[in-house]
Amino acid sequence: MEGSPPTVIVTHGLSKEYDMGAEIVYALRGVDIQIRRNEFIAVMGPSGSGKSTLMNLIGCLDTPTAGEYILNGSPVQDLEDDELARIRNREIGFVFQTFNLLPRATALHNVELPLIYAGVKAAARREKAAVALDRVGLADRMEHQPNELSGGQRQRVAIARALVNEPSILLADEPTGNLDSATSADIMSLFVELHRGGQTIIMVTHEHDIAEFAERIITLVDGMVASSHARLTTAPFASTAPPVISE
Amino acid sequence: MSVLEALRIALTQIWAHKLKSLFSLIGVVIGITFLIAVITVVEGMNRYVQEDFAGSLFGVNTFSVTRRPTIGTGTQSAEERIRLARNPYPDLEDVAAVRRAVPDARYLSWRDARRMREVWHGQRRRRNIRVIGGSEDYQDIQGWKIETGRGLTPLDQQRALKVAVIGPEIAEKLFPDGSAVGKLIRLQAYRYEVVGVFERKGGLLGNAWDAAVLMPYETYNQTLSRKRNRVLEISVKTNTESEMQAAMDGTEEALRIVRGLRPGEENNFHFQTSSGLLSAWETINNILLAAVPGLVSISLVVGGIVIMNIMLVSVTQRTREIGVRKAMGATQRDIMLQFLAESSIVSLLGAGLGIALGLGLGKLVERLSPLPASIPTWALATAIGLGLVVGLSSGIYPARRASRLDPIDALRYE
Repeated sequence: MEGSPPTVIVTHGLSKEYDMGAEIVYALRGVDIQIRRNEFIAVMGPSGSGKSTLMNLIGCLDTPTAGEYILNGSPVQDLEDDELARIRNREIGFVFQTFNLLPRATALHNVELPLIYAGVKAAARREKAAVALDRVGLADRMEHQPNELSGGQRQRVAIARALVNEPSILLADEPTGNLDSATSADIMSLFVELHRGGQTIIMVTHEHDIAEFAERIITLVDGMVASSHARLTTAPFASTAPPVISE
Repeated sequence: MSVLEALRIALTQIWAHKLKSLFSLIGVVIGITFLIAVITVVEGMNRYVQEDFAGSLFGVNTFSVTRRPTIGTGTQSAEERIRLARNPYPDLEDVAAVRRAVPDARYLSWRDARRMREVWHGQRRRRNIRVIGGSEDYQDIQGWKIETGRGLTPLDQQRALKVAVIGPEIAEKLFPDGSAVGKLIRLQAYRYEVVGVFERKGGLLGNAWDAAVLMPYETYNQTLSRKRNRVLEISVKTNTESEMQAAMDGTEEALRIVRGLRPGEENNFHFQTSSGLLSAWETINNILLAAVPGLVSISLVVGGIVIMNIMLVSVTQRTREIGVRKAMGATQRDIMLQFLAESSIVSLLGAGLGIALGLGLGKLVERLSPLPASIPTWALATAIGLGLVVGLSSGIYPARRASRLDPIDALRYE
């Protein structure tokens, strides 16, 4: 495609098998995907289809048993632990279903975390973290600890933390799994906004209405890509019913 | 991540779990307290012996001749002790020989002494005292000071007058109104006029002198002496250290002649010097210090194990946090540093507390005894060094475990 944005992720025959002793479990059996910059992808599939394994591989938390994974033009499938840690730090922003914030640290400190490992100095760190929190609408909650925040606010802190190092990819694993539908919609509109701002987002979900916010849905079945198609509608809000549950 | 950053994270963590941190450093506190307290006391005794005790018994450039060493170190063999016990006491003949051998001595003095059951004044008495017959110069060579009245004079000595200077404890007991000078005291059947009272010496071993009666040697020799002309100790003070060595050589020769020792026969007398006394003390001192490392290392090993255990529990409890940190880009080294910093700080805090408590104990000993509290810098440095070593070595295993956690498993850990 001419004039299309550069490719961020390319995988060829990406496979992962787990030796469980008695049997070998094939979690991924040759996944080929391409993701361009500024795409908003939803990865779907039934449980056991390999969604989580794929996320772990893309997030450089794990390495494949076979196949290639090229991130921003360089192969990463054979890297050592410390190099993977560096890539996680610079290229990937994680958002988890359970938020995974440090419980005794303030929102600001939580957001600073990736910057600590990036070697950013304390003053610059605070400033960047404050900007990131402002971006997700939590400028007035910086000194709050997670237990003083609502679920939606916690997930926003997590998103700010994921974005603070300006990663190539925002990798979200069931980001709305622990949230009610109204808050889910809030978080999704934040994702859409970030996407409009140029952020590449890959999101694992099993909820169709959440996946509807993405541009493209990749469906995995039995460790293989079953389908990959762009969503038909282009304006997510227009097509989505208000998520408030009526009586 | 820098070491500084690791320390910051560790401090935050320690502060967040104050009680747990406090418990984990108890073992180290005990070990270091013990180390510092023992070294403080031993060093205090050291200083006391060197500055007060030895100095008061023997000034510089002073040596004395006795029958055998007054302070046994327990290092002599049985045969040696038997041989020393056969040595005759010095007597006035020996004194005369020494006087001839060291004519230019600054001081030459001798004394005999005995313990006595009681001293009387009227119906008052003081039990368990020491009576000393000292020659001229004796009170000077001992550095005894007079509180009231006067000391013994050459005239007292020459005429063997029945006069005495008494220690403060006797004066208090016999003359509670403080009017000792000019009164009579009675020892057995003899009466002596009190001419002066000594200043209190106090001190760990000085108490005995506070309950002493000093009289001219010749007076003692004629009245209370157990054996005529016997001398317990002949003391010689020379002007310089080099003169002292020459005087000792001359004295040795003179005594061998006067005692009729054949060549090759061993001396049947003993030289005592302040340096000799100090070396005896050093032997005791070394035994004390040799016991410290063993006891300290036991408590530090226990302290280290306590820290390691608590750190291991902490690693398990914080598995998820470790997973998050790894997902955010922490390397194995970063996690390792964080936990090592934590165990080191805990252990160093323990060492710091231990130093404070140990010094406190030392101060307490100083208050309750005449020993000065003295802590050498090397002991503080050792305490801090040990704290660091315990912290690092007890943290290394938990830190390795934390750093090697698989991030996926760690993130999923409930």
